[in-house]
Amino acid sequence: MEIKESKEKYDVIIVGSGAAGGITTKILTDAGLKVALIEAGPYFDPADPEQQTQFKPTWASPRRGSSVTRRFGDFHMSYGDWKVDGEPYSSKEDTDFMWWRSRMLGGRTNHWGRIASRLGPKDFKCKDFYDLDENWPITYEDIKPYYDKLDKLIGVFGTKENLPNDPDGFFLPPPKPRLHELYYIKGAKKSGINVIPSRLSVLTKRINNQRGICMFCGQCERSCSVYACFSSSSSLVIPSLKGGLLDLYTDSMVRKVNTDNNGIATGVSFINKKNGKEYSIKSKVVVLGASSCSSARILLNSKSNEHPNGLGNSSGLIGKYLQDTVGTSKQIFVPELMNRKTYNEDGVGGAHVYTPWWLHDKKLDFPIGYHIETSYRNLGMPQFGIGGYIPNDFNKFFGLRVGGYGEQIRKDVKKYWGSTIALESRGGAIPDINNYCEIDENKKDKYGIPVLKFNYKWADTEYNQAKHAQDIYEELAYNMNGIMIGDKPGKDQNYGISTPGSIIHEVGTTRMGNNPNTSVVNKYERLHDVDNVYVVDAGPFVFKGDKNPTWTIMALAWRTSDHIISELKKQNL
Amino acid sequence: MKRRDSIKTIILSSIGASLTLEGCISPLNENVSEKIWEYRYGRTPYEKERDKKFLNAQFFNKSELRTIERIANIIIPPNEFGNINDAGVVEMIEFIAKDWSTPAHNNYGENVLRKGLIVLDNLFENKFNNKLTDCSDDQIKSMFDIISYNDGIEEDFKEAASFFATYRYMVVTGWFTSEVGMRDLGYKGNIPNVWDGVPEDVLKDHDVSYDLEWIAKCVDQSKRNETAVWDEDGNLLT
Repeated sequence: MEIKESKEKYDVIIVGSGAAGGITTKILTDAGLKVALIEAGPYFDPADPEQQTQFKPTWASPRRGSSVTRRFGDFHMSYGDWKVDGEPYSSKEDTDFMWWRSRMLGGRTNHWGRIASRLGPKDFKCKDFYDLDENWPITYEDIKPYYDKLDKLIGVFGTKENLPNDPDGFFLPPPKPRLHELYYIKGAKKSGINVIPSRLSVLTKRINNQRGICMFCGQCERSCSVYACFSSSSSLVIPSLKGGLLDLYTDSMVRKVNTDNNGIATGVSFINKKNGKEYSIKSKVVVLGASSCSSARILLNSKSNEHPNGLGNSSGLIGKYLQDTVGTSKQIFVPELMNRKTYNEDGVGGAHVYTPWWLHDKKLDFPIGYHIETSYRNLGMPQFGIGGYIPNDFNKFFGLRVGGYGEQIRKDVKKYWGSTIALESRGGAIPDINNYCEIDENKKDKYGIPVLKFNYKWADTEYNQAKHAQDIYEELAYNMNGIMIGDKPGKDQNYGISTPGSIIHEVGTTRMGNNPNTSVVNKYERLHDVDNVYVVDAGPFVFKGDKNPTWTIMALAWRTSDHIISELKKQNL
Repeated sequence: MKRRDSIKTIILSSIGASLTLEGCISPLNENVSEKIWEYRYGRTPYEKERDKKFLNAQFFNKSELRTIERIANIIIPPNEFGNINDAGVVEMIEFIAKDWSTPAHNNYGENVLRKGLIVLDNLFENKFNNKLTDCSDDQIKSMFDIISYNDGIEEDFKEAASFFATYRYMVVTGWFTSEVGMRDLGYKGNIPNVWDGVPEDVLKDHDVSYDLEWIAKCVDQSKRNETAVWDEDGNLLT
């Protein structure tokens, strides 16, 4: 879509078209509001054959899908990754943070794992249950109706399990487990570890006539051409464009939120990436859904006489309490899965089963639990590197010679194909004021906008959590008659804990709270300092527990959208 | 891709100075019209341009390409599914030599792939007084028997063994990610289908079974087209 200079005043400007911006756009335009949606990347529709990578075989790529221009390989549907050309960031001396950005309509919802988990009641009362510094100012009961509405509007499969901190929803029926998942279930059972069907936003059953049903290609991360898995582009923004109330600005990089002499927001300024020029548009309300760190960056860059520390930053807390998920993983070789009979086991683009946190009542040396995800492409389409660098390295487990060539190597690749299971823990991080992003005053991106600098360190208890997960993997490997591949990472390797940011679950930079001195937004995600600016991405999260954040981002954004509609009706904005 | 990063470290850590990308890639004969984009899948304009540039340039000379083809045919010999050429293995390696010739890849094309050919060729020159491509299959195999196994490789052969492993990795990947290679492997997916669980005979063979209570909650594929309706407690009615 062509960028235009708009003289008209929108009701609402929304920045970012991912999970947060998408649902906000839908709810506000459905309510009859005139909306401008600004996206930093190009237009993207998963159904566009020119952009489609779904169903493309590996040999369709001259590099056989290897990850040179895209971090997770040629077919992965994200324009941008932890590196975006011309948009640098840095980390403070002895820290490291990885910041993923998907510059495209729909943002990261085009490639995400579709894990649609709800936060539980304990996650909202995290001070009471986990001894953290603050509770959320809202409870599970406040947000539950929005989770329910999301389930019905967008679709998620799963099962009712009546677990204490993993609430049930309005589920579509899940797919049956794959073979290696049955091994995992059996192995976990021996240690009393619960395994239940996954909860993924994939349509295993029809929910409306606008979206197709899963074709079980296992390629959700390529974004679905029949819209069977949820992407904000396919399922929210593109349908909303048909209503005539939405102006979409693509390839537009927001520099700042503009304010008047009273400190009230008047709209935003952005740079049109195509011609390099800056434009500004006006609105009654500004909603930021650019992702936790991008929204924090925009606010911090929106300095004015009335807001000298950045917009909404009188508390000095914007950027603080940054959290990513704590992760650690291990591959396990399961000899019983050698020499598999092959059949189409692609399934959905994610594991069909998972282990929710199961040790709620046990005293451990870390406060917050984790869930375990398993690999799912065990018999999936061969990608670059199939067989590994030494295709029969597992021969060493049987005292057989490693290496060789010819028919022996061909046979060995087939023998070991599909015989490994990867286990990955996804755990809650501790909100910490010392983990943050801030503006790097010395560096600008290619659009001339000051960039971010990160400071993030794991806490001792988070290392303990990773250690616990590795101990569990060892036990599960034993239970499956399997062998951990490579050494079990010990203290010297930090138990294999993930680099902060690498799990791509950043939350918590514009913390929600009732007290303007200790938080940035109120319980409706409105800036304490400015009545007509809202933050609807994961920035307002106080805490996320071990849960994947997308569903909660959208539930909160829907609730905020209802609030905005009501405030506009009352002419309070 | 962490695995690749670590592999890179292993292979490249012993290699020193690198040539620049421009120095080792020559454009194809200008009379030849631009190579048609034969790869059809969603690319951004930047990616498309980048790939096109490489597809229209030549990294290896004819003699090097013949060496790669010969090595590849011995690492994965032809069978009823096809051969190395059917699988486009040499083309893939030619492309990767250019694709990975970046500072981030430590100029892999020159430092690893081309250097590997030189080291392997020297090995045959020393032993048989002949280029690799002029040696017989038996001669080539006699050397591969020495350098292809991880155990007991003598110091003199370590460098050649490391480059052999690199080419084996490339050839195995090239074969099994090709159309013929996937058939050889037995991969059956990448088509629209309705997943309804692991086949009965496979379950039996692995001595595992579906839990009946679990299965009762799973999707009834005969009703997948009926629009979902729930009662107020979230129980699915359709």
